[in-house]
Amino acid sequence: MREIDKLNQLLKRVEKPGRYIGGEIHSVKKDIDSVQSRFAFAFPDVYEIGMSYLGLQILYKALNDRHSIYCERVFAPASDMENLMREEGLPLFTLETKTPVKELDAVGFTLQYEMSYTNILNMLDLAQIPLLVSERGEDWPLIMAGGPCAFNPEPLADFIDVFLIGDGEETLPAVLELYGQMKREGKSRQDFYHEACKIDGVYIPSLYDVEYKEDGTIKKLCKLYDDAPLPVRRAICPDIETLPFPINPVIPTVEAVHDRSVVEMFRGCSRGCRFCQAGMIYRPVRERKKDTVFHLAMEQLRNTGNDELSLLSLSTSDYSQFEPLAMELMEACKKENVSLSLPSLRIDQFAFKVLNKIQEYRKSGLTYAPEAGTQRLRDVINKGVTESDIYTSIEQAIDLGWNHIKLYFMIGLPTETDQDLDGIAEIAKNIIELNYKLNGRKGGRFRVTVSVSNFVPKADTPFQWEGQNSAKEFARKHDYLSARLKTKGITFNYHDNATSVYEAVFARGDRRCGKLLLAAFQNGCKFDGWSEHFNQAGWEKAFVDSQIDPAFYTERKRSFDEIFPWDMIDCGISKDFLQKEAERAYEEVTTKDCRHGCVACGINRYANCQMEGIYE
Amino acid sequence: MNRYVIKFEKNGYVKYTSHLDLLRIFKRSFKKTGFALQYSQGFNPHPKMGFAQPLSLGYSSRCELIEFETIKFHEPEDILNKMSIAMPEGLKLVSCTAFNTSTKSLAAEADSAVYQVWIPISHDISQEELETMIKDYVNQPEIVAMKRQKKTKKLAPVNIQKQIRNIKGKVEAAEDGNHILCLTMLLDCGSASNLSPELVISTFCSFAGIDTPRYEIEVERFQLNFVNNLQF
Repeated sequence: MREIDKLNQLLKRVEKPGRYIGGEIHSVKKDIDSVQSRFAFAFPDVYEIGMSYLGLQILYKALNDRHSIYCERVFAPASDMENLMREEGLPLFTLETKTPVKELDAVGFTLQYEMSYTNILNMLDLAQIPLLVSERGEDWPLIMAGGPCAFNPEPLADFIDVFLIGDGEETLPAVLELYGQMKREGKSRQDFYHEACKIDGVYIPSLYDVEYKEDGTIKKLCKLYDDAPLPVRRAICPDIETLPFPINPVIPTVEAVHDRSVVEMFRGCSRGCRFCQAGMIYRPVRERKKDTVFHLAMEQLRNTGNDELSLLSLSTSDYSQFEPLAMELMEACKKENVSLSLPSLRIDQFAFKVLNKIQEYRKSGLTYAPEAGTQRLRDVINKGVTESDIYTSIEQAIDLGWNHIKLYFMIGLPTETDQDLDGIAEIAKNIIELNYKLNGRKGGRFRVTVSVSNFVPKADTPFQWEGQNSAKEFARKHDYLSARLKTKGITFNYHDNATSVYEAVFARGDRRCGKLLLAAFQNGCKFDGWSEHFNQAGWEKAFVDSQIDPAFYTERKRSFDEIFPWDMIDCGISKDFLQKEAERAYEEVTTKDCRHGCVACGINRYANCQMEGIYE
Repeated sequence: MNRYVIKFEKNGYVKYTSHLDLLRIFKRSFKKTGFALQYSQGFNPHPKMGFAQPLSLGYSSRCELIEFETIKFHEPEDILNKMSIAMPEGLKLVSCTAFNTSTKSLAAEADSAVYQVWIPISHDISQEELETMIKDYVNQPEIVAMKRQKKTKKLAPVNIQKQIRNIKGKVEAAEDGNHILCLTMLLDCGSASNLSPELVISTFCSFAGIDTPRYEIEVERFQLNFVNNLQF
């Protein structure tokens, strides 16, 4: 039977078949004979999630704008579809042309979250592509990966041929064009690697090796090819104003998680929260001009017919032109009947003015992230929020009619004690009291939701040397908090412990963790981020099978002179700065936002800091 | 009142787009093209837009109808041209008609529909045998199908015999040397009486001893008829 007919029949037997059909408005059709490189952008989760990811739309445009490249999309099929594809022997295919992924020149996975790694192996397997680099000859597609988790690429080194570190808009097309060209010239894969590794941001694990000490830590990182750079410097686009941005994004047919227009205001963050990887690896702050953001938003709305607009960045209010931009967008959105959402807004006077306007009819919930329960611990993590900031904003919110306050905290942060946990409960209770004070003893319908996530130390942050709490310790802290948050009007949510531990293993794992990942996949683990699919027994067995001790990667506190697996990569932030920040954390000393003056993170060695010292 | 009907075809993979997703696609296209829709009055206003008859997921169609009201008058041709640009692959807008004759919705006026059903079979069958089979099937005193009840969600037996108006059949040769039974059926399709082709397919197959799995069977809606002979 032809595979197209096979697919047609399969689609009659699955839920939401629209996930697999492509053909959406603004999806790209190209004559496959006219292109030189065929690439699949692979998102290791289902369609509805992947289609909400702006990075996909950006790279889809950046690639398809070039005549020589055809970028198609592929997502992880849901279990029902996967089972049928395996039963019928239908290989994983692209949405645009239904071509088996294994027939393309290259496949690129986006690494947004460590717990999606098993899905990458599962997708390769469904594509009928050998999982291991060592098992793949030259005829298989080039398997690539990029995204935030690529800053510690090592746990995936066994499976991925080429990693792209940093901004992908320029690197990815450049690498694909080079690959297409060298393939046509009959050059070998090795020749291509030797050429590609000269491009900033290209990390090819097979050109490197790692030596270990007896205690399991790294003795030495070495090159196997003399001209390969070590470390590999992250690709940085110095000016994002000139980068391609999708004004004609693919419009998902099946409703995506976020079905709205999105414009990226700026990349990077200058605040320097010490737990935050994004705050380090996307430096320096690079803004789009206000008018550019405005026009991109309006054009995108016009081209999509979306009725919601959202602005993307790591910290909305830090945009240098935020107030005028917000005012202009509010007016335009009102005229066009579009609702505007402004995520990660710092709650200040202006924010209230804006929020009060845009949420006039639906004061759904106000989200606030103090991250830690006491001032001491907030200083340790360099979260520049004070007690009075919190209560002033929340008092104002209650006054303006919000009746649901959502608070986000992390537990297991370095130096945390039970007093810091008490602080979390105290804040929640004080907010309830605040409401009583303002709205009387009955207080109306008022709720506080406390969401607690488990701290996962990440590479390239000042806390990269820290030990993580054990799952048992996390559980104790959850119980501790539970007991203290049993108050009327307070809802307490917390995160699963096992996934936090596994996430932490890969976040700071080395090449040896490849065995663990493979074992987990072989034990049937996939969609690990979905609680209904999470297979803890499969993972536990995988640790045994691969003889990996999770505590070595998670709970162990590293010394400052330890060589890390991710030292293969130069993220742009100097290790000296990270160490200095760690030491200041122990001293409970905060470090200012570099808009008040340079804090010597090291990024200005590679790029110009537009925001340095602008508040001085 | 600026009321219009767009007729469109649904071909290829787009047939796996659900009713709700299709509504969203149209709503979005109206927004994008700037044809402002009239909203209903009341507590929860919604745009005046709806399909004449929902189409099951997986069916293709030559005759889908969506009706809507705009705030201002627009040339139907203009609506057709602009809306056509913003459609997913396989969704082809055929015509747009201004339509002010009736106050009832098309859904309320729908009466019957013609479906084409293709059933591949692995055994030999002649045209005469098929015709006899169909005749015997429709002439049963009652045809009992198991239908899921809206309220209780339970399967209950219903007699669909009177809702089948006509079935014609033709034996066609398949590419692989097997045969395809091509059935053209005229069924009740409206607010008064509505029969899903699924119930005819399942009862016919079991009557005729055909064990072709459902996923090998294709269905296309050919035509939608209205009580007052409206045509689009």
